Amino acid sequence: MLNQFVTPDLQPAAPEIFLLIMSCVILFADLVVGQVQRWMMSALTIITLVGAAVLTYVTMDGQVVLTFSNMFVDDLLSDFLKLVLYVAVIAVVIYSRSYLVARNLEKAEFYLLVLFSTLGMMVMISAAHFLTLYLGLELLSLSLYALVAIDRDSARSTEAAMKYFVLGALASGLLLYGMSMVYGATGTLEIGAVAQAIYHGDANKTILVFGLVFLVAGIAFKLGAVPFHMWVPDVYHGAPTAITLFIASAPKLAAFAMTLRLLVYGLFELADQWQLMLMMLAVLSIALGNLAAIAQTNLKRMLAYSGISHMGFMLLAMMSGVVGGQADPFGTLNAYSSALYYSVAYVLMSLGSFGMILLLSRAGHEAEMIEDFKGLNKRNPWFAAVMMVLMFSMAGIPFFIGFFAKFSVLLAAVKAGYVGIAVFAVMMSLVGAFYYLRVVKIMYFDAPVDTAPIEAPLDMRVLLSLNGLAVAVFGLFPDSIMMLCTTTLVRSL
Amino acid sequence: MEFKTIIFYVLSAVAVLAALRVITARNPVHAALFLVLCFFNISGIWLLLQAEFLAMALIMVYVGAVMVLFLFVVMMLDINVERLRQKFWSYLPLGAMVGLLMVAEMGMVLSGKYFGLDAMPGQTMPADYSNTKELGRLLFTDYVYPFELASVILLVGIIAAVMLTLRHRKDSKHLNPGKQIAVKAKDRLRIVSMPVEKDQPAAGQGE
Amino acid sequence: MFGPVSLTHYLILAAILFAIGIVGIFLNRKNLIVLLMAIELVLLAVNLNFVAFSHYLNDLSGQLFVFFILTVAAAESGIGLAILVVLFRNLSSIDVDDLDSLKG
Repeated sequence: MLNQFVTPDLQPAAPEIFLLIMSCVILFADLVVGQVQRWMMSALTIITLVGAAVLTYVTMDGQVVLTFSNMFVDDLLSDFLKLVLYVAVIAVVIYSRSYLVARNLEKAEFYLLVLFSTLGMMVMISAAHFLTLYLGLELLSLSLYALVAIDRDSARSTEAAMKYFVLGALASGLLLYGMSMVYGATGTLEIGAVAQAIYHGDANKTILVFGLVFLVAGIAFKLGAVPFHMWVPDVYHGAPTAITLFIASAPKLAAFAMTLRLLVYGLFELADQWQLMLMMLAVLSIALGNLAAIAQTNLKRMLAYSGISHMGFMLLAMMSGVVGGQADPFGTLNAYSSALYYSVAYVLMSLGSFGMILLLSRAGHEAEMIEDFKGLNKRNPWFAAVMMVLMFSMAGIPFFIGFFAKFSVLLAAVKAGYVGIAVFAVMMSLVGAFYYLRVVKIMYFDAPVDTAPIEAPLDMRVLLSLNGLAVAVFGLFPDSIMMLCTTTLVRSL
Repeated sequence: MEFKTIIFYVLSAVAVLAALRVITARNPVHAALFLVLCFFNISGIWLLLQAEFLAMALIMVYVGAVMVLFLFVVMMLDINVERLRQKFWSYLPLGAMVGLLMVAEMGMVLSGKYFGLDAMPGQTMPADYSNTKELGRLLFTDYVYPFELASVILLVGIIAAVMLTLRHRKDSKHLNPGKQIAVKAKDRLRIVSMPVEKDQPAAGQGE
Repeated sequence: MFGPVSLTHYLILAAILFAIGIVGIFLNRKNLIVLLMAIELVLLAVNLNFVAFSHYLNDLSGQLFVFFILTVAAAESGIGLAILVVLFRNLSSIDVDDLDSLKG
């Protein structure tokens, strides 16, 4: 038995190793550089992420490679998600800098925790074993708890951090309980072996479904789907906007990867059961998210509720994979690629919207109320247009990326026979369009309350403009992006 | 009843009672101590399951480190114990009902003969089998990737705890060892070259 | 019921601890520290599950999972208590009902 151990092939994990080494370098660089040259920290962080992106791109070969005793998987899906992840984190670092500097929060710890949570997300994306999935999730969550409390003298931030911590720890507990049941039923913790054991009928269905309930509850907590959404509005609202931007964007990719790895890769045979649970989550999230968002006056809270409804849409695609116990390969693939498409589109839109709040904020002014956007067109027509594009895209108005994301999800749901739910989702997005368009209305038709000029560094202006353009331009080529998502999934299953 | 069964029931009864006291205790210090008791008993149950290493690790990591941390924090914070109790009893009946319902439902699922494992007596190991050695062998071979990840998680724990709670007092006077070590002789001692001063013989006293 | 100890006995014990932990989280409206302890109880229940399965499956991976859960839980309670200390500095209270500034 001793001889069975094969020295792991480190090459597939090169981006993770590089990121970890660079994080340690930054940890030491902070000692040397100290308080004086803080810009170096953000520069090093961006260099790290670009380096990891290069490594990921270079080692991308479309093969499914398992290493570290079948605990780590490197496939096209993980490479694709990681590349999007790096882009999102780079955007977060660039958008946040001036906000953090103005509030004296730009500590090296911010960059370190962002990098460590990125590492956690990468581990989750590449997880082929319950243990690595759990460790990646905890690495992400622990860094996020600390980031929310980074403004430690603010009662609001620390309160948000405490709520996030308690509910996040509870969610981990539920997830682990579910994992323990699956372990008991199948006798293994490897996701691939779990699927094998269930396929061969070695595992007891009752116990598996019992564990599945806890797994889905844990996943729903992390996604922020109703009825496990309580933390989302409070954390988005209470955390410093730069941190909200981070929480609302990149972790959604990791949560999507977790859902896919656990439910599709591991428990595909139980699709009938988990699709029913996801259906409940999706319907409730879409309804409550859109309805509660209308009543909000705080833009961060409004975007939090809108995020809940977007996660509902993502789940709507995840639950449309298998119809009547029959997995039609084309339909299944289509459903999961629209879920992937939706997650990527949501990350882009979410980055842009929270980026806009950061753009308008300055020392002593958070710009987080919806009325702070009044008359933005008179203050800066270009960024008013960017915000309009983002709001239109989130509302699902053609022809922006958000529209095609919603469209492909609804199409998948209709194909799977959930016509009633698809109609309900459309109705709810129409309700949702109201609050997005209200933001556009006050930008263009109301007189500005706040007339201070917009001060933001050039890199942030350029990237935010590109972000808005991407939302608009990717909407023009929906098919090619959908193709990309489908190809990615085909080569990874 | 065989001896092992008696031990199991004693340990689990104490563990459950202690766990109940954790969530109902009036004073957080008592709650922490009851949690310690609960951990001790569960550790005994793990010994029954032949997980010797984990039983010891539970005591050392939890009782030795984590619970002491809890006690430190309880004592650091000046908590008004009386105020903490006000609404507790009004929630208790509902909570107890929900709890019993949960246990009953989970028990119904778990007590069925679903696992097919009940038939197995659980393996007995040869006398020279070392649980710790086996775990260690796996930990540093197959589980090397999670092992490294766990180290990163602990690093994040350190960074986060220091970031959140470390405050530099402005009035504290401290030495900087880095600077002390980096000191060179020339920083402290200045050698000035000066023109040599000679006792000049009185001028004018010519030859 | 009082026959030799079997897997079911361990699982039911874990389920009882799990339920006590969950009820403790929802019952404690007053004290955040006890809330953190209730989370530890939930994790303890999960660990007991894993160890019991590991023993009856004759497979060590369950025990290794517990090893990692213990490590992570230690880091987690470190961060949780750090947040608690910071919160107490801001609010001078650890009453759950005082966490009400974020609403809507």
